[in-house]
Amino acid sequence: MIKISNLSKSYNRSGVKAVDNLNLHVKAGEIFGFLGPNGAGKTTTIKMMVGLLNPDEGSIIINGFDNQKDPIGAKRSIGYVPDSPMVYDRLTGLEYLDFMASVYQVPSDVKRERIDYFLDMFGLADAANDLIKSYSHGMKQKIVLTGALIHNPALWIMDEPMVGLDPRSSHLLKELMREHCDRGNTVFFSTHILEVAERLCDRIGIIHKGRLIAIGTLEELRHGEQAETLENIFLELTEQ
Amino acid sequence: MKQFISLLRISLNVNFGISALRYRFIKEKKRLWESILIFLSIIIGGGFFTAFFTMILYNIYLAGAAINSPEIVITVGLLAGQFMIFLFGILYIISAFYFSDDINILVPLPLKPYHILGCKFLVILINEYLILLPVLIPSIVIYGVGSNAGISYWFKSVFIILLSPIIPLIVASVFVLILMRLVNVRKSKDLLVVIGSLLGLFFWIVVNYYTQRISSDNPEEFIRDLLSSRINIIEELGEKLPHVFWGTYSLSKTGLDGLIYFLLIVLVSVLAFIFLLWLGNRIFYKGLLSGQEISRKKRSLTAEQINRKTQETSNPVMALFWREWKLFIRTPIYVINGLAGMIIVPFLMLMPYFDSSGETQEILSLARQSQFIVQATLGSLGLLLFTASINIVSCTSLSREGRTFWISKIIPVSPKYQVTAKLLHGMAISGMGILVTIALIAFILQLPFTRLLVILILGTLGSFLLNILNLIIDVLRPKLEWNDPQEAVKQNLNGFFSILLTFIALGCWGGLSILLFNLGIPEGWVYVILGLSTAVLLIPSLIILYSLAEASYKKLEI
Repeated sequence: MIKISNLSKSYNRSGVKAVDNLNLHVKAGEIFGFLGPNGAGKTTTIKMMVGLLNPDEGSIIINGFDNQKDPIGAKRSIGYVPDSPMVYDRLTGLEYLDFMASVYQVPSDVKRERIDYFLDMFGLADAANDLIKSYSHGMKQKIVLTGALIHNPALWIMDEPMVGLDPRSSHLLKELMREHCDRGNTVFFSTHILEVAERLCDRIGIIHKGRLIAIGTLEELRHGEQAETLENIFLELTEQ
Repeated sequence: MKQFISLLRISLNVNFGISALRYRFIKEKKRLWESILIFLSIIIGGGFFTAFFTMILYNIYLAGAAINSPEIVITVGLLAGQFMIFLFGILYIISAFYFSDDINILVPLPLKPYHILGCKFLVILINEYLILLPVLIPSIVIYGVGSNAGISYWFKSVFIILLSPIIPLIVASVFVLILMRLVNVRKSKDLLVVIGSLLGLFFWIVVNYYTQRISSDNPEEFIRDLLSSRINIIEELGEKLPHVFWGTYSLSKTGLDGLIYFLLIVLVSVLAFIFLLWLGNRIFYKGLLSGQEISRKKRSLTAEQINRKTQETSNPVMALFWREWKLFIRTPIYVINGLAGMIIVPFLMLMPYFDSSGETQEILSLARQSQFIVQATLGSLGLLLFTASINIVSCTSLSREGRTFWISKIIPVSPKYQVTAKLLHGMAISGMGILVTIALIAFILQLPFTRLLVILILGTLGSFLLNILNLIIDVLRPKLEWNDPQEAVKQNLNGFFSILLTFIALGCWGGLSILLFNLGIPEGWVYVILGLSTAVLLIPSLIILYSLAEASYKKLEI
């Protein structure tokens, strides 16, 4: 579903690489957790995957589409949730969802069904008709989530999706992620909450100073030492 | 005091973007030309304004000298400065005291309210000097040179310049502090923007009206009228603003008299500042915190209501068009700036219509005569193109997306369709301008229907071309980094480029028409050639727009 080859990106002319020769393959049906300390290159990688940043080198294949050569094809397969929910303040929640559904060409009946489902699930029905500028951070996060998932994309790419969500919504989102992958789809998300990654992810990648320093299932990362927690593994790997 | 100074230092840094500039030039090493261009255009713009104002002030000086009060030029400079500071100040203060982003960071810090207030006040004060200098320096120099003033005059004048914005700014601050304590202005921020903009517009029209009258015909005579008994505005206003007279006398009088007035103005300024800090300490936080509460109507929607309220899935271009439209129409600062041309021009057009003086009526009746019909038609066309194109809609179309531009980057709609939606939006607004102006032209000039049709067709074609070109400007250099919508349209150099481009285009069309008439081409053919040449230009312009959009959307990183 995702094939990243030799991906590099540096900001400015300082030459320091935010992402350094990254190679990654995420299969369909997987929940992939992307971990790393602050400034490790998680968001940069994610932004390159969804087309917000241009890679200096390397390629990203999304659902069979090269996101540099056929960006529209790649974008159709993605539902993206950014780390901060910056959306159109002066649209109502419903108008925003209508807009997203139209640009992804979701048929009207499917759209209504999905809007109804998500608004109900996230408890947003009472706010849907208000301008987004009156929403709290968590509510904005939920409306962005709904907008990202409204076209039922095969690949969910989420940057810290649990931040700002209340425990109930966070729980529901995790369930949704599992169900989505069980249907043969893929979820790629970054997080700092190691317990979530430990319990939810099929595979985990750890990025540090732009380089992928570890990848595999939790078992593989433990190297046979059952007692080792993901936290310990993470701390050991990123201390160097 | 230490806290206050470090707060002031960091506020000045943020205000003038010192660290940001250093980062941009030293680390990013780019866009230096842009800053140089901004700087140059400010210098040129400011230079023109100063030259124009100096000319008026010089006439005032001459008129004042004729009635033995040459110092009136200082009073006028000070008064003009006071009004500008007060008017700009109110909006500036409201936004800096109550709506700036750093308030949420500063309030929880162990700072006294007067630290924050005083600091913000000083930052605004420093900004206000930039507005004040082009107004005040000419009047002080004109009087100083004209009266052969000594060294003490120049010495005192430096202090008078430094002191003069303090009192109006304090008055504006006190007004704002009390206003914010009484009403929850945060809730009605949009309304405030509208009121402020309309006030500004009104002020602009009044100033324009008077400066036109001063610079036309016989300026000296007009000013003499203004200064003499007939309309003695300055003296009346001066009586109500005594510090303006103290400022004037402290400069125009020599010896002890001048010194006393000088000390008086220093003392009043200091006392007023202390009063502001005292008042701020008591009520600043109260007004600020009462405005932080956000209320929302709770109206739970049933599935059926949601069904009813959601639209049918539309074509992506139409969805993008409606996004543009809704975001534009719901942001007052965009509406005001986008529709300003459509408000000002018709207003200015209507003013002479109601001016019953013989001269204006004579011009109108001339324009209605059949032998001037060509001039009236082309003049109206130029006016219509100007009205319909002087708006910020297309030239800030991408910029207005700001930090939400990520949405446009991730949606599976090609940049070509995205800019098409923006173009449609620009044309929808221009279309309103076209209709309003053509109705006014029909009403005032009473042109025959065929000529109106020609104006309508050529105007629409021309404004379509201008919208494409304006959009190209914004596609090439969108300003996506902003915190307040105001920055996207008012502090965006693209607006300046757009005006420049409109004037160049109008010049080209005008030049072409004159050329064609001089070649003896019949009137009808001139319109046909104008229309065809514009239509032919549309195609390559669109192709350029689309290819630039593809490249720019890809290149822009957010």
